[in-house]
Amino acid sequence: MIPLLLATLLSISGSEPGAEAPGEPGGRGLAIKAAKALTVPLDGPQFVDNAVVLVRDGRIEAIGPTSEVAVPVGYDVLDVGDRWLAPGMVELHCHIAGTFDINDMVYLTNPGVRASTAVRPEDPKLMQGLAGGVTTVLFIPGSGTNIGGQGVLLKTGLDDYESMEVRNPGSMKLAQAGNPERWLIRPGRSFMNWNTRNTFQRGVAYAKRWKAAEENGGEAPRKNLQFEVIRSLYNREAQISTHTQIYQVANMTLTMVAKELGLPVFIDHGTFDAYRVAPRAKELGVSAILGPRAIDVPSPLMMMWAGTNPERIQGVAAGYQEGGLEMIGFNTDSPVIPQEELSLQASMGVRYGFRWDNLESIRGLTIVPAKTAGIDHLVGSLEPGKHADIIVVGGDPADPRNGVDMVFIEGERVYDAENGRRRW
Amino acid sequence: MIAGCPHETSVPISARAGGGAPWRRILRGALALGLAGPLAAAADTAPPSGGTFAIRASKALLCELDGRQAIDGALVLIDEGRIAAVEAEHDLELPEGTPVLDAGASWVMPGMIDLHSHVGGPRGYNDAVFQVNSGLRVSSTAIAGNARLRRPLAAGITTILYIPGSATNVGGQGVLLKTRPGSFEEILVRDPGSLKIAQGDNPKRWGYRMNRALMNHHIRTALRQGSAYAERWEAYEQGEAERPERRLHLDVYRDLRSEEIAISTHTQYFQVVLATLRILRMEFGFPTFIDHGSFDSWLLGGVAERIGVPAILGPREVMWPTNPGRFPVDGRAEGCAWGFQQQGVSLIGFNTDAPVLPQEELPLQSAMGVRYGFDNSRMGAVRGLTIVPATVCGVGDDLGSLEAGKVADLVVLTGDPSDPRTSVQWVWVEGELVYEQAAGERPW
Repeated sequence: MIPLLLATLLSISGSEPGAEAPGEPGGRGLAIKAAKALTVPLDGPQFVDNAVVLVRDGRIEAIGPTSEVAVPVGYDVLDVGDRWLAPGMVELHCHIAGTFDINDMVYLTNPGVRASTAVRPEDPKLMQGLAGGVTTVLFIPGSGTNIGGQGVLLKTGLDDYESMEVRNPGSMKLAQAGNPERWLIRPGRSFMNWNTRNTFQRGVAYAKRWKAAEENGGEAPRKNLQFEVIRSLYNREAQISTHTQIYQVANMTLTMVAKELGLPVFIDHGTFDAYRVAPRAKELGVSAILGPRAIDVPSPLMMMWAGTNPERIQGVAAGYQEGGLEMIGFNTDSPVIPQEELSLQASMGVRYGFRWDNLESIRGLTIVPAKTAGIDHLVGSLEPGKHADIIVVGGDPADPRNGVDMVFIEGERVYDAENGRRRW
Repeated sequence: MIAGCPHETSVPISARAGGGAPWRRILRGALALGLAGPLAAAADTAPPSGGTFAIRASKALLCELDGRQAIDGALVLIDEGRIAAVEAEHDLELPEGTPVLDAGASWVMPGMIDLHSHVGGPRGYNDAVFQVNSGLRVSSTAIAGNARLRRPLAAGITTILYIPGSATNVGGQGVLLKTRPGSFEEILVRDPGSLKIAQGDNPKRWGYRMNRALMNHHIRTALRQGSAYAERWEAYEQGEAERPERRLHLDVYRDLRSEEIAISTHTQYFQVVLATLRILRMEFGFPTFIDHGSFDSWLLGGVAERIGVPAILGPREVMWPTNPGRFPVDGRAEGCAWGFQQQGVSLIGFNTDAPVLPQEELPLQSAMGVRYGFDNSRMGAVRGLTIVPATVCGVGDDLGSLEAGKVADLVVLTGDPSDPRTSVQWVWVEGELVYEQAAGERPW
């Protein structure tokens, strides 16, 4: 609980000081009524008009139109009027959840290094992101090396590490071009990819030895902290978040990491002309989490580098969509783009031609990144059983003129713009 | 044309309007416009460009300084590079045979204006040999239609104030340019466009590291010299004194004194903006606008309004409550546009400081202003991209609104420009079509 919001919560619940607020674990039930709820499940209808969401013990109990979902006796009712509800946003490329020492570069591959050691709950920048509706982040190492280490999936807006942690390792960070080329002896892409493959192959062999020992009994292999994360990958309990951009590089992500090594991976950045890999990505089940500023522009210098048509201004999200990929999300690479401007990245995707007939602009901020990170059973949509991570917005969250008015995380109202401490 | 402006490169807008540019023929090819009645907006029909034509749109955002703001079901008649009429469809009879582009549900608005841009040329706009450089002209580094102006043009930004950087206290003279391709003469709106002064942060890094007290002393000394020079010329012109010796680096102060141009001021905190208001405007009486105006500087909005200093805000005009040691914060985030509006400032505009933020994201700055509390019920978010910057830099008679007689810089787009999901379909500058979304392979 953020102390300065305590008064707010008490004013809703009317309970005694110290009692749990409605909706929170241990508290009474909470019913939130709104003109529209963008539910965005993976499949099926994407929104509900005149909606009510029942929240109990930090989870969504039920959601539907007020005509179909009755509010049980004893539930507090919060009617937000004309405003809309949406799931808390999920950001898979964040560097601001703590101190900035997340880019150790002693070695060129650092699978054992963990970003979780740098987490600082209630980091001011993270709180700004929270006020922009971001409730879950993948806090990842930088791209100073090919394997930067392990990211951690966190809830924002909660006040201690234990309650923030959703999963550790949240991902393993891989960088295939650009920044790691500046490492010490200035490796080129051929050397970097050899080094990366070598590390992964050893890690996979380690994971296989463990699996064999677990399945067939016998002596457990010696624990190797460097390769533990590759066990998580091999067992499909975590994904590789890949700093990859440009067609040539994204193609290596798909052919080398997804196909040859068979590890779960997603494209993270995917900018310039990388959208041309979309059909291959779809075939291999690889998501593309795009940004920041996902547009491929006709700059002659960049075109030499990326090899695209110099006459064409291409929206990158639109490019992936035209290539048939459905799993398209957005990121900020905060602080490159401020965390609170995550929703804006989806708006800019629309500006540059991304179709959103089925609320793809919202899905790319919620269910798509949740599914990509393997946490869609917990977050990413408003569905019964999931965490009550809910934002209250003045209208469509993909229109940035609509500020976020309230944010709930696991039923707890962690941000309320109307109560004196507005952060918009 | 700047009256009394000694710069011979300035070309009056009226002399250039409607002029046929060779690049137009390259862009569009020969146009078959002998059609009567509406042209379909289909890709195989060339949209009108040059001469006389009209645009029909579901809404026209007029953005007049004090008059009409919007018309539903509008017709805009363009004649030889100027706007001949803007009326509701049923109130305007077009001359027989006028080609009409029917934009359907789309909207039409004036071309947008960014008063803080550094992308008019590739580099060389930040000379820092001296701390005061009143004579430097950034126009000498401009490249018309350079690659970094293509996206802004495609985003509906038709005019920029291309200014020197803020490495020194007086960086030199900015230039007002159109973003369309062409020769320098064709894109020139006015030179000098402004005098750039910087009062906080960046210029402190100059040479052996300045502090604000010394910097403001230098600024005052420069303004005093310039002011005296301009007064001597004024006395000469009124037959009261000998012809003064020409001082190239002080000529710009004559334009300031005659209020033909304004000082565009890199000024951002309360303390720094206070120095802007007190020195540039109160002490020397020069036309001045706040350019940046971030952090807590909105607290001075009331003073600024009283002495006639507008605020052009950006980039990212929000103050986060994360630095209580430096600013008087109370835990709230303050939208800067909101703050200036609260303080009663009537002319509030937006800038990008491109390439700090991409030039094409100018409309986004107004959207973020609204997100952070700026009241948009009177179209402030659109005015801050059009008539406000036009008025602030003294080109409000020609640019910034859809009014009969003004230059036909027009944008047709899918909806409200302050919603960044809106995309731009066509852009005309001086009645010439300079961007068409559907042409070629530009799925913007």
